[in-house]
Amino acid sequence: MAKFDVVGHSVRRPDAYDKVTGGRGFPVNVTLPGMLHARMLRSPYAHARIRSINASAAEKLAGVKAVLTPGDVPQKKFSPLFFMPTESNELIRDLVLLSENIRYAGQPVAAVAASTPDIAEAALDLIDVDYEELTAVFDPEEAMQPGAPRISPTAANNIARTPTLSRGDLEAGFREADEIFEGTYCTQRVHTCYMEPRVCVVDSDMQGNLTVYASVQHIFGLREKLAYVLSRPESGIKVVKSPYIGGGFGSKLDLVYIEPLAALLSLKTRRPVRMEHTRYEDFITNARHPMKVYLKTGVKKDGTFTARYAKTIVDTGAYATHGPEVIMVHAVFSFFSAYRCPHQKWDGVVVYTNNMLGGAFRGYGAPQGCWAVESQIDEICHGLKMDPLEFRLKNAHHEGDAHPFLKQFTLASYRLADCINQGAERIGWKNRSRTPSGAGTKRRGIGVACHPLWVSGCVGLPDIYEHSGAIVKLNRDGTADLATATIDMGTGQNTTLCQIAAEELGIAAESVRMSYADTDTVPFDAPSHASRVTYSAGNAVKAAAGEARRRLLQVAGEMLEADAADLEVRKGIVQVKGSPDVNLTVAEVVSRAESPLVQMTAAGPKVTTIKEKGSIIGVSSMAPPGNPSPCAAEFVEVEVDTETGAVKVLRVVYAHDIGRVINPAAAQGQVEGGVQQGIGYALMEHLQFDPGTGACVTGDFLDYKMPTAVEMPAEIESIFIESDEPTGPFGAKGLSEVCLTIPAPAIANAIFNAVGVRVRDLPITPEKILAGLGKL
Amino acid sequence: MKQIVPLHINGDIHEVAIEPGATLLRVLREHLGLIGTKRGCDSGGCGCCTVHLDGKAVYSCMTFALQVAGRKITTIEGLSPDGRLNRLQDAFVEAGAVQCGYCTCGMIMAAQQLLDVTQTPTEEEIRRAIAGNLCRCTGYHKIVAAIKLASAP
Repeated sequence: MAKFDVVGHSVRRPDAYDKVTGGRGFPVNVTLPGMLHARMLRSPYAHARIRSINASAAEKLAGVKAVLTPGDVPQKKFSPLFFMPTESNELIRDLVLLSENIRYAGQPVAAVAASTPDIAEAALDLIDVDYEELTAVFDPEEAMQPGAPRISPTAANNIARTPTLSRGDLEAGFREADEIFEGTYCTQRVHTCYMEPRVCVVDSDMQGNLTVYASVQHIFGLREKLAYVLSRPESGIKVVKSPYIGGGFGSKLDLVYIEPLAALLSLKTRRPVRMEHTRYEDFITNARHPMKVYLKTGVKKDGTFTARYAKTIVDTGAYATHGPEVIMVHAVFSFFSAYRCPHQKWDGVVVYTNNMLGGAFRGYGAPQGCWAVESQIDEICHGLKMDPLEFRLKNAHHEGDAHPFLKQFTLASYRLADCINQGAERIGWKNRSRTPSGAGTKRRGIGVACHPLWVSGCVGLPDIYEHSGAIVKLNRDGTADLATATIDMGTGQNTTLCQIAAEELGIAAESVRMSYADTDTVPFDAPSHASRVTYSAGNAVKAAAGEARRRLLQVAGEMLEADAADLEVRKGIVQVKGSPDVNLTVAEVVSRAESPLVQMTAAGPKVTTIKEKGSIIGVSSMAPPGNPSPCAAEFVEVEVDTETGAVKVLRVVYAHDIGRVINPAAAQGQVEGGVQQGIGYALMEHLQFDPGTGACVTGDFLDYKMPTAVEMPAEIESIFIESDEPTGPFGAKGLSEVCLTIPAPAIANAIFNAVGVRVRDLPITPEKILAGLGKL
Repeated sequence: MKQIVPLHINGDIHEVAIEPGATLLRVLREHLGLIGTKRGCDSGGCGCCTVHLDGKAVYSCMTFALQVAGRKITTIEGLSPDGRLNRLQDAFVEAGAVQCGYCTCGMIMAAQQLLDVTQTPTEEEIRRAIAGNLCRCTGYHKIVAAIKLASAP
């Protein structure tokens, strides 16, 4: 393995000091002089038509500066997804900013800007809305039936999309099978629960140019969607990058109502307007899609897949924003291409309902698919009396195989077998009992699941942005400023990208600073999503730093009267290869390049040459050269109380192949947080709605339960299998999403090992365990 | 009607005109610019707004500002008045316990109260002390490690 000075070390996060002393850099802290506060009025009905709105009383309230109702805003249809261009017409369905057609409880119908938040809130009560209530439908399978309430005027039977994938001859594959297994696996609606609420401040100048601060995962996406919805030029909108945001996990990949409404209110009042969600509003803005996955799988006695069929029903909610897209990622990466199998077919159905919108959430369709596939594999292994590890290894892809879906690529680094074997060793798989162990009412079990195939960004996937840019500028004190549009939502890019730049420049990690950026000043970057930033933005940062380094060595060559090709830079020193005594500090070289002064040398004053002049800077804008797959296996040990049905996760061992690990502590943090979100998905989290009105009844953290420190296991062990991805920056691949797809099926499989109860619908509540034990 | 009350915060006395319904969280952030205390839910569910009131960790979103006039309030800004990290803050940085950082200030305030009364807490005591503070990034793993690090003799 190559030796690195900076990469591979758990350097301190440069933003940690700020975050432990007060965290001033969050968008929620932005205030501007003269700023107004805006709030939204939301529909109490899940399905309705607005007959009329009268806002005159609200407008007259002292302190109210502007009111917007559907008649005041553009009725332009748009797609809110940051990561796909607005020109993807396929995605533009029937979502408009404020509509007279209400499709879910909580859909905004009006907005007010006032001098204080309290006045804005009070004004909402003065807006008189006359609704004609319509029959609502919340169950996707009911919504597909003839005669169901029509939600979208353009979708027959409320079906938004019915994609399929097919390979080989399915029926022939089933005829070859020794055994066939069938099952239906359901997942619930869950929320990302980022801690910083959605917030924005929009300012406008007298020419109508907008400056926007917002808690989002993509500043260029926000600029593009705002420009589209408001029919204004992109050049008239500047989105400022926050130093960091308080979590996102996918939820902040969409234009939501607040940004365009605040922009319109600012244009109307000529004042800055701030809009912040309440936590309830956050909960009903977007969530992971519930899916129902039917699987039929044919296997040989030796465990080889012969045929696999799946059908997925996705509840896209009131508008088809993410549904038609998330279903494809779900199908390809968690089912169709996850394992080797010659005969496969998949059918998908995306259905409108009167539920809240689906959105992106870490894994984007994969947690739902992984839940089905990895649960069923455990059932198959139980049926065949086969070891689940052996079964997966038999059907897994191998390093060097052609990429199973992106045919232009190969799986150049792919160590799933090492993940499985090393994780098994650490959890003590050999000693796993086939019969329940434990004392009294407590039973313990061990389970495993894998995430065989995923992405490092979106190269090769149609219509999804995938390129990055960076500016690296060296300073006269030997440090460097790195500017990119990449948002650090807590994943650590402010650290890892600086490490990549530092390694390439040959200076210390703490000598690189993540600098200011906005959409006016830095190159385009795709969003922070799809496990892409370390890989894709990392490649761009490395390229920019490499260009700066070449310039650095060129100037140093002039100064040392040496060929730049004979020079190297490490630890802040530029030296002649093999002659380390002939050297300069990086600071000396940069100072020379920017200084008008004559260089003093032992031989006397030396006039600066033209070649030495000019700031030392590197710029890149590029797509990454591939889309390598990270992969992972997870093992969990659980304890099930057969008296209460309670499940406790005792221990987690996670083994990942993510290529070269840039910052081990940051990578571990990703896994540990992913495990938490996965445990929540498996055992407790569930966004729930009143079955009559469709109103959210779990709109705060007292009712929406996510794991606290008490529910989390003390033992979470990360194993990183360090492969060397040839296309990655210093060998790195993506990480974030594979962390949280696996816990749910691994926990379900461990529960089966412990008490013999198979739960196929999430979350696995005590009631379902007790029902499985015949006690309810 | 607003009332002018003295708030004793981080050793300073602020005379603030407060509406009766204003929460301590809102006064800290909107009147006094003490923005280290965060609003995560405004309903006593997440702990991002945790401060110390007479040495005890409380949710400032569930505390009326008028109730605490004259009482000793400490916010995250009060832990490192001279800009030097205290032992717990330093441990959070050292242990890699900070990810998005939005929960961090409240988490540190909750943990600090534990360390103020318990010199070497057990793992269970640590987890219980921060059970009212949600974090969505870390799985609490490195947060617990940081609190252990800060409490090591």
